[in-house]
Amino acid sequence: MEVSTKGKSSFPGGTHPPQSKELTREGEIRPGPASTQVAVMLSQHTGAVCQPIVKKGDEVQAGQKVGDSDAFVSAPVHSPVNGKVKEIALQSHSVLGRSPAVIIEADTENNPPKQPVFNKFTSGFNEEKYSVEQICAAVREAGIVGMGGAGFPTRVKIEPNPRLPKETLIINGCECEPYITCDYRIMLEWTEQIIAGIKLARKASACSQVFIGIEDNKPRAIKVMSEALRETGNDDIKVVPVRTKYPQGGERQLIKAILNKNVPTGGIPPMIGVVVLNVATVAAIAEAVVYGQPLTHRVVTVTGEAIANPGNYYAAIGTAVGELIEFCGGITQKAAKVVLGGPMMGIAVADLTTPITKTAGAITVLTKEQIGRAKFVRRQTACIRCGRCIEVCPENLNPTRIAHAVKNNFLDAAESYYLSACIECGCCSYVCPANIEITGYIKTGKRLLARQKEKIPE
Amino acid sequence: MFRDITVSCAPHISERFSTRTVMIDVVIGLVPAMIAAGYYFRIRAAVLISACVVSAVATEWLCNAVRKKPNSLGDFSAVVTGIILALSVPPGLPVWAAIIGSVFAIAVGKMVFGGLGANIFNPAMVGRAFLTASFGMLMTTWTVPATIDSSMPVISAENKIDARTQATPLAWSKEAVKTKQGAKIVNDQLKAVFKGEVGGCLGETSALALLVGAAYLFIRRTINPHIPLAVIASASAFAGIMYLINRDAYILPLCHICSGGLLLGAFFIATDPVTAPLTKKGMWIFGIGVGTITMLIRIVGEYPEGVMFSVLLMNAVTPLIDRFCKLVPAGGKPSV
Repeated sequence: MEVSTKGKSSFPGGTHPPQSKELTREGEIRPGPASTQVAVMLSQHTGAVCQPIVKKGDEVQAGQKVGDSDAFVSAPVHSPVNGKVKEIALQSHSVLGRSPAVIIEADTENNPPKQPVFNKFTSGFNEEKYSVEQICAAVREAGIVGMGGAGFPTRVKIEPNPRLPKETLIINGCECEPYITCDYRIMLEWTEQIIAGIKLARKASACSQVFIGIEDNKPRAIKVMSEALRETGNDDIKVVPVRTKYPQGGERQLIKAILNKNVPTGGIPPMIGVVVLNVATVAAIAEAVVYGQPLTHRVVTVTGEAIANPGNYYAAIGTAVGELIEFCGGITQKAAKVVLGGPMMGIAVADLTTPITKTAGAITVLTKEQIGRAKFVRRQTACIRCGRCIEVCPENLNPTRIAHAVKNNFLDAAESYYLSACIECGCCSYVCPANIEITGYIKTGKRLLARQKEKIPE
Repeated sequence: MFRDITVSCAPHISERFSTRTVMIDVVIGLVPAMIAAGYYFRIRAAVLISACVVSAVATEWLCNAVRKKPNSLGDFSAVVTGIILALSVPPGLPVWAAIIGSVFAIAVGKMVFGGLGANIFNPAMVGRAFLTASFGMLMTTWTVPATIDSSMPVISAENKIDARTQATPLAWSKEAVKTKQGAKIVNDQLKAVFKGEVGGCLGETSALALLVGAAYLFIRRTINPHIPLAVIASASAFAGIMYLINRDAYILPLCHICSGGLLLGAFFIATDPVTAPLTKKGMWIFGIGVGTITMLIRIVGEYPEGVMFSVLLMNAVTPLIDRFCKLVPAGGKPSV
């Protein structure tokens, strides 16, 4: 039976930025740099920041927990290396500015590189011997969070919740961001591990149906996954090719494409009985439950036209961005921007000692040419009300109105245009002919609104 | 190693596409109409178009200089305004009048509001309205296209042969409405009306040329089809009903569509993004408004042509339409 790799369904709106995935698409996952020093951020997820549970000078083992929190929505962090805690200090964080981190000096003699466990999984994997409690506890202890970008603690998502029963599990293998190929490589190389992880997540969340959404610009991944599922007799897990369009990998957009349902504005997928997990996250679940390995390493795509040897690397979480770039041969041309993540939603970093976190799928180094002259000089002209931002908005918002309300400090007006419903995908800024940083204004507006609400006493 | 890296908010790439691209596309879309104007009205077309464009550009430059604002000529919007104004005036208009219209269009139609993006009314239509109000006679004197043999009887009032001027199909249609007869004379001219071999404004006579230009804009996705479709559909519906009521008094809907400024208005004037609503629903309301008011003026009102007034009237209610047609997020209104 020939597998169809053509995506039919999608969501309204969206854009088609250049893919640029050919730089790293064929690059097998290789071991990352052996760092002499790592900085494990205490906040790598949505929710409460961890408290350090080691002190300066402590000896730590690879996989040892170094930070934890009692809060429900949080995830512990672990040391990726054997070594000694150098200090607990503030480090540049891609989102939070400066944030506390456990800085660990690696033991240079006794530090075997961590091996991925994908080759230990076989097609005969059976999830029956793990109880729901065991799975949830292992996921929590391993510090697994959504590895697609949002970083929501996975335990909270998959755990049974009587108020919001789940019925559909969607595995997100879209990878709609340009340049990034880490999920693609995982699907090709770690197929059995992903399937094992899906079975475990399905059991924990008690979902009755499972879909794997993959954009149709990855026909090989669609084929490999479907064939592996068929061979193992897991026909109840369906691979759904979806149309290649940015931001297809947004969970709201993926749910729309696969189930044709909208997640309520301001709501979360469990409200309509859905849970969405990234492929890298389910692979981490399998590793944590079966081998008790915490999330200390992840696959990172180091790419961009300005990198000498772009590729996909299995790197320790806590490695500095600059170290990974050096490891890939440094830059070849004049680099203009270093982005943690992809070019559409990634965050530009100024400090190259910024460590990578659990949610960092890529480091993209862009040249002036790639950024484009308009974006590079950042010259904004007047809005001509062309409405292109409205056409591309996947959430059917009015981005130009929100942005101009924020610009003029009318937060009420911005809220009346549903400021908070924005998913910050960046489509509006991408298409804007006047080069207005619409997404930037919206993000600013959200921050201002949050600050305003803090100031109002209850 | 990274001395020169910059930071800014995401996204870090953008479509190679700017306001200037949009405006240049509109200029290219108007090229067929300009060629048709040159074919039918010869040197007059070149003179009027260049006079309007040069004076529009000069006025914008001057306004920016006076206001000590950065030069905004690079966006080409003044060029577009100049061309559209030139195409919507009679070929025989004296150059000095065209220049006055063009200066008024840019200075009062656009720059006093704060430049491109801030104006309420379509600048070219503001300029044309000013000319109509000030020089009514000049704005309703129509030259015969150069391609028509002047010894041939053409449609004109009382079928008199007039070598210099003639009535436009719409003036004739107005006459038919009043006298309840003679609509057939206009209907018989449909082919000439479509090609543009009739009296009328410089760039409005040839429906064919305008459609070719519009096709380019659609292919380039410079304009979206909602407004033109709404204008043409509502105007056709109105004209169609009237035609069915009395075939002697009212001309064919197709004649209405192809004559006067309706196509230029539908594709190039009403679609001016600055003065049209933002949302799809709003665009349909706007377009239906333009089409209906145009036909009301043409059939019921005193003027033979109404595109200019209908566009200006709908421009005035655009903020209201935008307020009325607020988008609802994909996930529905938040339940807070």
